Amino acid sequence: MKTRVRLPRLLACGATVALALSLTACGNGDGGGSSGDGKIHVLVYGDASNKVEKQIVDKFNKTSDVKAVLDTIPGADYQQKLQTIINTPQAPDVFFNWGGGSIQPFVKADLLMPLDDFIEKDPGLKANFLPSVFNSAVVDGKSYGVPMRGTQPILLFHNKQVLDKAGVKPPKTWDELLDAVKKLKDEGVTPISLGGGDRWPTLMWFEYLYDRVAGPELFEKALKGDKDAWASADSKKALSMLKELVDAGAFGKNYDSVKYTNGSSPALLASGKAGFELMGSWYYAQQQEDAKEFAETDLGYTAFPTVQGGKGDPTNVVGNTNNFYSVLKKTKHPEAVAEFLKLMYSDEFVKAQMAIGNLPTTTSTRKFLDTAADPEYSRFQYDLVAKAPSFQLSWDQAYPPSAITPIQQAVQQFFNGQLDADGFIKAMQALPTE
Amino acid sequence: MTTQITSAPVAVEPRKGARRRPEASSAARVGRPGFLWALPATVFFALFAIAPLIMVAVLSFMSWNGLGSPEFVGLDNWSRLADDPVMLKSVWLTLLLTALGVVIQTPLSILLGVWAAGHQRNRAVLSVVYFIPLLLSATAVSVLWRALLDPNFGIPARATWLFGDGNLFGEQATAIGVLAFVSTWQFTPFHTLIYQGAARAIPQVLYQAAEIDGAGRYRQFFHITLPQLRNSVVTSMILMIVGGLTTFETVLILTQGGPGTDTTISAYYMYQKAFKGFDFGAGAAIALALVIAATIVSLIVVRVSGYDKMRSDMEGVS
Repeated sequence: MKTRVRLPRLLACGATVALALSLTACGNGDGGGSSGDGKIHVLVYGDASNKVEKQIVDKFNKTSDVKAVLDTIPGADYQQKLQTIINTPQAPDVFFNWGGGSIQPFVKADLLMPLDDFIEKDPGLKANFLPSVFNSAVVDGKSYGVPMRGTQPILLFHNKQVLDKAGVKPPKTWDELLDAVKKLKDEGVTPISLGGGDRWPTLMWFEYLYDRVAGPELFEKALKGDKDAWASADSKKALSMLKELVDAGAFGKNYDSVKYTNGSSPALLASGKAGFELMGSWYYAQQQEDAKEFAETDLGYTAFPTVQGGKGDPTNVVGNTNNFYSVLKKTKHPEAVAEFLKLMYSDEFVKAQMAIGNLPTTTSTRKFLDTAADPEYSRFQYDLVAKAPSFQLSWDQAYPPSAITPIQQAVQQFFNGQLDADGFIKAMQALPTE
Repeated sequence: MTTQITSAPVAVEPRKGARRRPEASSAARVGRPGFLWALPATVFFALFAIAPLIMVAVLSFMSWNGLGSPEFVGLDNWSRLADDPVMLKSVWLTLLLTALGVVIQTPLSILLGVWAAGHQRNRAVLSVVYFIPLLLSATAVSVLWRALLDPNFGIPARATWLFGDGNLFGEQATAIGVLAFVSTWQFTPFHTLIYQGAARAIPQVLYQAAEIDGAGRYRQFFHITLPQLRNSVVTSMILMIVGGLTTFETVLILTQGGPGTDTTISAYYMYQKAFKGFDFGAGAAIALALVIAATIVSLIVVRVSGYDKMRSDMEGVS
């Protein structure tokens, strides 16, 4: 059974690559594009947020001669499938992405349209969005994306009951966090729940601590190819603090066998077996769905603790700034696309997103906070993002895709002791930056 | 096969030399498999196996991220792979997992297969139950075991005496152990099926004769059953080896190659390079290396086992 299926499949994979190769070879210079049919195709990641996107497309189609068509790609394969079609005649006109490194290869391949002309004609396309968010889709000084959907800062969640029992208050500083870890451990619970099996939750600890200790500049430098940044004193300090936290038993011993994606690490918090979990703002909705009772009474949230003597502004935020719409250079209807993008800062869009729990990053969002599914939580998040001098995009999304695996491996190996600080620094220095 | 059938009537009724020749040659023209017979299969094989293989080979000498035109870089991908410690480690891991699969599954499935070859009703029922894992996809099986082995909510939480802190996926030895266990759980039934069929085909007279000679159950097993299963052992082992070399889903879902790169087998490394890192040239090089390795290993097994000589298993002939 196994063999009959596997070997051909392996070959088929190769064939897909090879076939795609021949396709692009023929398609080059053709520039056809799917927009020849008087329509613009809008490609988005398929999930619950599509509800609002459909609504927006319908609204757009009521007034526009050029009709918009919404195409969705479900599942985690979005980036792979996007990369397969983006250079073919099936490419969309407008597509969803994560900004930063996720669009960098497309910019480099000269496929994307800089939006600066659009912004010149309608300054609102830039001015209506929070700058810290808008900037994460800027590549080489040019804007390549307009924010859509909602922002996803990473927050420190906790179980109020567990903390009360151990006599712990939500920590405001790193020292308080270390102290909380000790007290929670004495209570017999895992101080911090971590889905290390997925690796990206582990990465979140690095992102925040580096930002607090060294400020966002260190990572920005490293991203530009300055390998010394990783070997700097600040980098080493951040690593030693992380090591201290791990060695203190903050995450227990089996975190690498726990996953976030199968609901295991959130269940640790909800069932009172853990005190804290560091996770993106979507965690709140996740707990509402998985453990409604816990989410309504005992789920608390705070910003990441401050680090004494750190260079980073304590109000800085890391996470997914937002998702973005980028535009293909070869679109036949740039005017229609510009009109479509304007809807992303319309009141109607903001209200519709808030109704499904997303937090759009327009400056007008504040007005509508009371209409959110949970106004208090939305307000907390919005203030956090709006006040943040810097919003660091997750490392694995800021770097180009080829760096994702090496980054995730390195953070996992540093946590489980396979890499020491020097080994980690070396691994990060070896990352491809373009 | 076909040759025997079409030539058989000619051989059976040889009457007069004069008539035989034209009859035979016309039969040959009509019934003998010529090149045309193989054409459909050849075309499909060329289209879906040979052509992609050639294209993959070509791609392995190019640098391509999936956008724009690939660039010819000569042996760059290959020399990078040769120097890549992860690649070397992945080859070692692939061989280790394959060997584990063969060593664990072969004795297990021979015993189960021979046992299931008996004719009692309870065995038939049990066999059917036992074959159920075979019906599940590797993906479903992996998701299932990942949930069952969760350290806080799965089996390890209930059996701490056996699993300790349950960090099965966080350490290399246990992560490999889990991978070997899950593929054993899923694929032993398939190999058992092969051995069950083969064991049933062993002529009963051999056992009857052995019993008259006073051979016990163990001697019967080692001197009749096992030698008679020889060709099945080779078949099953080749399937296990080629299957082991191309294992993918279990790693993708259970460990994602982790912790670190501790379970990054070659097929998964290829996927990581090509489809996560968009380095299709390096991915193609790994894929090609895998195809070559699998072919060589299969050839060695066939040669060493004497399978290519096709010795008969019939009673009294050896």
